[in-house]
Amino acid sequence: MRQTLRTSLVVATSLALGTLALAQGEHGLDLSALPQAGTVAPEEGLAAWENIHTVLTHPRCLNCHVGEDNVPLWGTAEAPGRVHGMAINAGNSRIGAEGLSCNACHQTSTRPNTVPHAAPQTGMDWRLAPVEFQWTDRTSAEICAQMRDPDRNGGRDEAGLIEHILHDAELIGFITWSFDPGEGREPAPGSLQQHLEDMAIWTAAGMPCPEG
Amino acid sequence: MELTINGTSHSVDLPDDMPLLWALRDGLNITSVKYGCGIAQCGACTVHIGGEAVRSCQVALADVWGEITTIEGLGTPDALHAIQAAWIDHQVAQCGYCQSGQIMQAADLLSRNPEPTDDDIDAAMSGNLCRCGTYPRIRTAVHAAASAMREV
Repeated sequence: MRQTLRTSLVVATSLALGTLALAQGEHGLDLSALPQAGTVAPEEGLAAWENIHTVLTHPRCLNCHVGEDNVPLWGTAEAPGRVHGMAINAGNSRIGAEGLSCNACHQTSTRPNTVPHAAPQTGMDWRLAPVEFQWTDRTSAEICAQMRDPDRNGGRDEAGLIEHILHDAELIGFITWSFDPGEGREPAPGSLQQHLEDMAIWTAAGMPCPEG
Repeated sequence: MELTINGTSHSVDLPDDMPLLWALRDGLNITSVKYGCGIAQCGACTVHIGGEAVRSCQVALADVWGEITTIEGLGTPDALHAIQAAWIDHQVAQCGYCQSGQIMQAADLLSRNPEPTDDDIDAAMSGNLCRCGTYPRIRTAVHAAASAMREV
């Protein structure tokens, strides 16, 4: 296990984000500056959404938030639509259970991704995001509507969306990995801390979405 | 560190972050497992861990989570696995370098899907490269093995 990244930065700060029951775990994130629900103006929330949208539509995130063709991408900023090599299709299972498991190549490990071009690994089993989380070929308004819809975001309310990030950070999952994807890969813009703060501002503002 | 390979326990004194492929070939002299690319792009090093096909070049020794099976553990010359028998019947191999990986991946496919279509086979085997281009014979042999396994 990559213990060096699991240093115990236990933050005892409690947040008043609705019913949020924050894990006081080893996520290593600073929760002290996150706003409370109802204290953020909609305009500020929309500005935070723009930052969130920039992250979510970066190829590092889009590559696994694909549609119902179940084909992962190897997109980059220069070629965002490039499909995964070897004609990989993750199937309706989204984990390759039908024929070739994602885990055949992508290991579940918190070891650093140090080898260029090797299959990246995280502390969570490799998979595509659920198909209802599709972000490719979606407008900012469409992605925003999906993000705040519990029927299409994994059943999460405002607090649940924040917990999702903290849980991911504890496991060194996909969100965490996307900001530190390892040798030879372009990271998602910003940092996990900045993304957490933007998400906290957006949810505290009532999850406002752009028109369109 | 203890590794169970083909039903036999092996004690190895190797670095935690050594790829399993290196340990099998250089540490334990199990050279049926082939090095092709070292970055999970060719499939030549495929073995089973806990019954599932895995590229052994991608697994650090400390991350091995179950019993390892190499092609020697799939069947023996006296009791071939149906896939090995089909490979011989259809003379699939040309140079043979990729074939232990191909066979281990095919065994995984048939454990998931006992009656694969051509498309199913192509999809599951697409990460196993063969520079000799034996793909048509691979597909034929997988169908034959599937039929044989269904008749058992």
